[in-house]
Amino acid sequence: MHFLKLISTFFKVNVQMSLAYRADTVVNILLNLMWLGWELLGLNIIFSNTTSLGGWGIGELIALLGVFRLINTLMIALIWPNTQRFNESIRDGSLDYTLLQPAPSMFLVTFSRITVWRIWDLVLAVILIVVGINTAGDVATLPSILTFLLLTISGAVVIYSLWIVLIALTFWFTKFDNNVTILQALLDAGRYPVTVYPVWLRIIVTYIIPIAIATTIPLQALRGELPVERILLFVAVSIVSAWIASLVWKAGVKRYSGASS
Amino acid sequence: MSPDTILVDQLSKTYQVPEREGGFGAAVRSFFKRKYKDVKAVERVSFRIEPGEVVGFLGPNGAGKTTTLKMLSGLLHPTGGRASVLGFTPWERKPEYLRAMTLVMGQRNRLSWDIPAADSFLLNQAIYRIPDDEYKKTYKELNELLELEPLMKKPVRNLSLGERMKCEIAAGLLHRPKVLFLDEPTIGLDITGQARIREFLREYNRLTGATILLTSHYMADVTALCERVIIIDHGQLKYDGGLTDLSRKIAPFKLIGVMLADAATHDLSRYGTEVQNEEDTGKRYIQVRAEDVTRATSEMLSTLPIHDITIADPSIESVIEQAFNQ
Repeated sequence: MHFLKLISTFFKVNVQMSLAYRADTVVNILLNLMWLGWELLGLNIIFSNTTSLGGWGIGELIALLGVFRLINTLMIALIWPNTQRFNESIRDGSLDYTLLQPAPSMFLVTFSRITVWRIWDLVLAVILIVVGINTAGDVATLPSILTFLLLTISGAVVIYSLWIVLIALTFWFTKFDNNVTILQALLDAGRYPVTVYPVWLRIIVTYIIPIAIATTIPLQALRGELPVERILLFVAVSIVSAWIASLVWKAGVKRYSGASS
Repeated sequence: MSPDTILVDQLSKTYQVPEREGGFGAAVRSFFKRKYKDVKAVERVSFRIEPGEVVGFLGPNGAGKTTTLKMLSGLLHPTGGRASVLGFTPWERKPEYLRAMTLVMGQRNRLSWDIPAADSFLLNQAIYRIPDDEYKKTYKELNELLELEPLMKKPVRNLSLGERMKCEIAAGLLHRPKVLFLDEPTIGLDITGQARIREFLREYNRLTGATILLTSHYMADVTALCERVIIIDHGQLKYDGGLTDLSRKIAPFKLIGVMLADAATHDLSRYGTEVQNEEDTGKRYIQVRAEDVTRATSEMLSTLPIHDITIADPSIESVIEQAFNQ
């Protein structure tokens, strides 16, 4: 409850911050709509030549695009701005103030910046998912929709944990500004179903750097393709990754208190 | 339980800093194999501070002041020794401790630049879980002392340095901390700005009984606020005691100022060390040990063509400077 209140306060403050840069906000909303049109156009081109991609029909691909945009919103609304803020705060020393606040530092670092106009991206993402599921027709059943939601959340948790580990590395390397570029590049691979990629790449993006967990896998659940043990495995992976991320973060903060001056 | 608010016992902090010589070859070598050098920032420092005291924490740049404050506020783990503040071990960073103290660093920003301070205040209220009525009361008090109201609505980046510092300090005090660690709270401010912050701190201490440990490069801050000073240099404690005793212990000197009829031709070094020469007034100052003052003045009066003579205590600035140089 306290954390929800904190997030809503952060959100309010960030709304005010982005209103301070009016032109920026307007341009960003327009750009965003343009990108969406561009992506849908891309899908349209693919499907005017074929009816399936990696065994997936257009409805499922629209839903995948929705999931991808959902994760992408997480990236752009939270991960990018907070990484920038975090890197700055290490350089200018204001991280000291963050660490002295009576709230978990990982939480404060996650939510202190929110690119608020991106929130409406979430709405688009949900619309895409709903339209996609509808177009896919009888593929989706209630249990498959529920597992889809569950796995989407675990996917987001995995991406988030990866991010925490990446930025926590800054505590050791001091300068590591490209930390999130890597994550974004990998995430872009999740735009299409991993089944279109060669096997070696598929293995990498599913198990080694588990981007597919956040995109393709939930969609496979929606199609009812995932056996229960795989579903449990992916949920377990997300819990373990969150746990590891918090350990790495704690070690990083400890290292910071040991080494900084 | 001791009545001390702050208890520091043999506190030490040694940093390992990478070390390399200049030049390309050395840079490449150090990329593969780093050499480290131990730097003792704080060495076995001990002191106690009682509730409600305002203590000046002094020392030249790099003496270990900031490192000590960071250990006491919980940001740094020491490499040796103990410290307890309000019964807490600072570096455990327990939320109860963090809510009971504040660290204000004059050279760092707590407030977001793009939004008015009022919004950052609300954020702090949420993070520190300050109930609305308590927040309003504290804000009202701080506003009375610092005249914050006209500053609250402007984005922080549009405030002057002095205005911003007022907001920074207020932001650090919204949760009514019992212990204040202030690192150069007046740095960069003009004389009136410094005086205002100083006045505020004195009032705040009187009203709330908060314990304050402050560092400053402006001796006026120290003389106006602190009855007691702690001096460290090269990480070691040099002096801990009353400000008035400081000059007696460290620099038992008096300053004799003379204006001579025919300036600059006379050698004053046989009476004491010449420390200052005011060219425009023609007044020259020599430093003489306190017990020699009578003898020196009577000798000077009988041998030199003196227009005017004054005897004064050295300024606290010069005393402290002397303490650093010992």
